[in-house]
Order: sequence, then structure tokens, then C-alpha cells
Amino acid sequence: MPGKALFQKTFTIKKDDFANAGEASVQIKNILKDVGFDSSVIRRVAVASYEAEMNVVMYGGGGNVRLAVNPDNVMLVVEDKGPGIPDVDQAMQEGFSTATDEMREMGFGAGMGLPNIKRNSDDLKIITSPDSGTRLEICIRSSVSGTEEN
Amino acid sequence: MEQKKTKKHSLQIDLEKCVGCVLCMKACPIQAIRVRNGKAVIDDDRCVDCGECYRVCPHDAVRSQTTSFHDLKRFKYTVALPSPVLYTQFGREVSPNQILLALKKIGFDYVVDVAWICEKVNAAYRLYIEDHPTPMPMISTVCPAVVRLVAFLYPELADHIIPIDVPREVLARELRSKISRKKNVSEEEIGVIHITSCAAKIVSINNPIGLSKSALDGAIAINDIYGKILDVLDEVEDDEILQQSSGVGIGWAASGGEVRGIELHNCLAVSGVKDVIQILDELEAGKLKDIKYLEALVCPDGCIGGTQVVENRHVAKHRAESLVKMYGERSRVSLKVIKRQYREGYYTLPEGITCKPLPPLDIDPVKALQKRQRIEEIIPLLGGKECGACGAPNCKTLARDIVLGEAEMEDCVFIKLHTAEHK
Repeated sequence: MPGKALFQKTFTIKKDDFANAGEASVQIKNILKDVGFDSSVIRRVAVASYEAEMNVVMYGGGGNVRLAVNPDNVMLVVEDKGPGIPDVDQAMQEGFSTATDEMREMGFGAGMGLPNIKRNSDDLKIITSPDSGTRLEICIRSSVSGTEEN
Repeated sequence: MEQKKTKKHSLQIDLEKCVGCVLCMKACPIQAIRVRNGKAVIDDDRCVDCGECYRVCPHDAVRSQTTSFHDLKRFKYTVALPSPVLYTQFGREVSPNQILLALKKIGFDYVVDVAWICEKVNAAYRLYIEDHPTPMPMISTVCPAVVRLVAFLYPELADHIIPIDVPREVLARELRSKISRKKNVSEEEIGVIHITSCAAKIVSINNPIGLSKSALDGAIAINDIYGKILDVLDEVEDDEILQQSSGVGIGWAASGGEVRGIELHNCLAVSGVKDVIQILDELEAGKLKDIKYLEALVCPDGCIGGTQVVENRHVAKHRAESLVKMYGERSRVSLKVIKRQYREGYYTLPEGITCKPLPPLDIDPVKALQKRQRIEEIIPLLGGKECGACGAPNCKTLARDIVLGEAEMEDCVFIKLHTAEHK
């Protein structure tokens, strides 16, 4: 994490909580709208945070999303206590998924989670192990609309 | 004053009737209402005219600014453009044609079956989607409240809106000049009036998005004109055929109608303001990308669930379904003509969608972030009962108002109590 951010908030994500899944990413998006970020940045953060949140719900056995915002960047640190990702390269491929039939029935498991996060972020760091779960560090750089006008 | 006539919104609070309770404020899905000095106040820049406040007010204090029947006297020649919803408001034995004839009987000089144009516009949507495969899904401009939701709160989704105008506007533009020539009256002397199931349509006429000026002169609420139609129905002689529409156009009255008419695979119909908001959130998160067309209407079950209707919406829905079956699910519009008109821009929304996103907490991004952080710090200090007694719909919104200088910590009754006890 970079030094102290002007805005920080932690969201707790519960395991298998499909009813509330996506709530954190909606809140994150609304925070960025309040700050006046460019709509393209908001959209990238919305997609990345949604995918990351769903991964924690479905595979990570619960965890949290830490949001840290500065005028020029949005950081999302997503941690879970799940089984880790055995093969990160494989998981980064579009269409690869370990989703269960149940998840697929709900419309998940298209194998676009991590590739979508990667595509929408400027930096993505994945730290994963079977013992300590998975930690994603997502950085999306931006300009706030307000500053561009000067 | 002129200002009073062209109010930004159709929904207004009647200060004499408002008792300052929390119901409308609580019902507003986008927190656009506060109770200040004992009266409800609607934030004009935020309101999307969804009508939820109108529905819940037990004191009739939320007024809908529709056109009155007497206003028609100022026109030499009047044209009625009734929403297909009107066809669902009478019993089984009353046909759409009889309803159109009844409108003539009560004084309109010219009556057009808008459902017929709905079919044409429906086909134009399909042509647009075939021309523009991305972004998916596309959303129509049919519901003015949905257009405003996107323009104010979801500007990221503006490119999902199909820049094709609504049937009533397309029709009104054409009719005014045509009638002026044929009947030898000036365009200003012609009153083109929509007969509407909801308040949001009034706003789309008084304060349009996507066109500088509406081609319509007003909108009469279905519940205002209902009695007049009922009075003359018995006298109507079925001697003239005004109805051209099939079940496809009539079906626009209820949720699922646009999807039926678009004839594309993978379309989704959503209705009800909370569900619409949820779906828009999903779109922003990059979901539903396999859906080609999204029919989004803020009233429950679509326009038949509007605020200005008479019939129970479930009964109206049933009636719409019967009419669809009766008049068939195959549109008789000429695709060849529609294709030509589409290319010539006949259906095009004149100015496209311009977004008016809500302002950030502060123009200075650093200050905006600090204010946002302050909101998070204030929330846990408030009562947490979401009571609304402070005049804000929930604690989170009060925290926001405090940070913006529009409210004080002491507005929270729990804080006030606590302070009083410790004095």
C-alpha cells in the first residue's frame, strides 16, 4: 500500500453471501462518484472491484476489500483466506474457471474474473498460497475531473 | 411568473397539505427529498420524477403538474396522442378503436393511435442495435425517469441509450406541420396533447433531454380524462377506424412490450424503480453484457403501473395481455418504409443524450476525499436508527448533509437527547 491515503475504508465480504454480493463494489463506485472521478475511471474500478468481490464470495471463503483513494489513484487490496490459486497463469486465461455447477447456474463462472480485473487495472499484483489465501493489489490510476479543468 | 409555469419537475409538494412526515423522503430511491422546517423539499437537481413520493403520500401533498382539459381551449385545433395504457383501463367489451373515437367525441379534433407508432419505433430500435453491436445492452428512451437516472446518476452508461426519440415526439413533430398545411391553421394554434399514465412524461415535455424543445404542448393524465371518456363511450358509434396497431404496439402498455416487439434474442425487461437501479448498478459493474436490449421502466409492471392510471395494474396487465392476443403478435408495419425513415433520421433523438452528473462533494478533489472520509467518521456517531426525524432519509445521508453544511449534528434526535441529558 502506498503511504496514507486521503480516503480509506474496509469492506467485509462474507463467504457464499450471494444475496449481498456486489454491495461493496456499488458502495465503492458511489464513493468515487462523490469525489468526482472521471466516468471511465469509475467504470474500471466498478468492474475490477465487482469481479474481485465475487471471487472472495465464491472461492475465497470470505475476506475483505480495503479501499484507499487519492486524487490520482485508487487502490484496492483484496484479501481472502481461501485455498489460494494453484496456477495463476492458467487463472489469468480468459474462459478458465473452477466454478461449480451451482455457481454456473447463477450465471457466474465464465472464466473472466481475473482477466477482467487485469484489463481494468494499471497494476495488478497477485500473492497467493494454499496456506495464507490470496491477496490482490489492484491499482487504477486516474485524474479527477475537477483537476482537468485547470 | 414565467418561472412558475415551466417548473423543472412535474412532482411538486403542496405546502398546505404537507404535514412534514417522513414517508415520501423514505420512499425516494435516490435520496432527493428532505424535510426542512416541517415540510418536504424535493431537490430539483436530483429528482428523476419516478413518482415514488406521489404513491406513498397519504395527504395528497405531492402534486403532479399535468395539463387540465380546460387548457385545451387556448388551441384552435387539438390532437390527442394517447398512451397505449389507455386501452387497458376499460372493460373487456371496450375496444381500442372505441376509446379513440371517444376521445374525438369529447372534443379532440384529431386522434392518433400511438400504439401503431410504437411498433415502428420498436422496429427502429432493432435497426439501431443491428447497426451498433456495442455497447451491450442497449436501453430505449421510453421511460423518462430511466433517461434521467442515467443522465444524473449513471453517466457512464449514456452510450447504452438508443438515441431514438419516443413515439409521441416523433409523431407530434410530423403531425404539426402536416395538419397546419391541411387544415389551414398556424402551427402555434395546434395543441398536440399526450394522454399519459405517468408524471415523468410531463417532465419530458417541459424539460426534455435530447431535444431543445418538445413537439408536444402538454399531457393530460389518464385519471383526469377517464370520467369524460366513460361518459361518452355509450354514444360512440363504431363508424370510423382509427386503430391501426396490432398487439405489438398495444403491448407497450406493460412491461415486456418493447422486448416482444423488438424480435431479437436475449433481451431483458425490468420494471420497478428499485429493480431498475439494481440492474443499472450491474451494468456499471460490467455485467449483463450478453443482453442485447434492456427494456427498463421505473413503474412496477411498466407504464400500466404509472401514477396517473385508474385501473389496478394487475387487472390492466391482464387486459393488455388479452388485447395482445386479440390483435396479434405480428406487426403490420412496413419494414421497408421504417428502414428508409430510419436512415433519413425520422426517428433520431434530435440532440442525443446530454448527461448532467451530480456535482462531487467538492470541486477540489483533495477536499472532496477529506469530506468523504469525514462522512464515514460521522456515521457511527449518529443514532443509527434510520428514523428520518432529522429531516434526512437515513443516517448516511444526514452525515453527508452535515459535511456539506446543510445540516448539523444536533439535528440527530439521539445526539440532541444525549446532549440534553448531560447538560
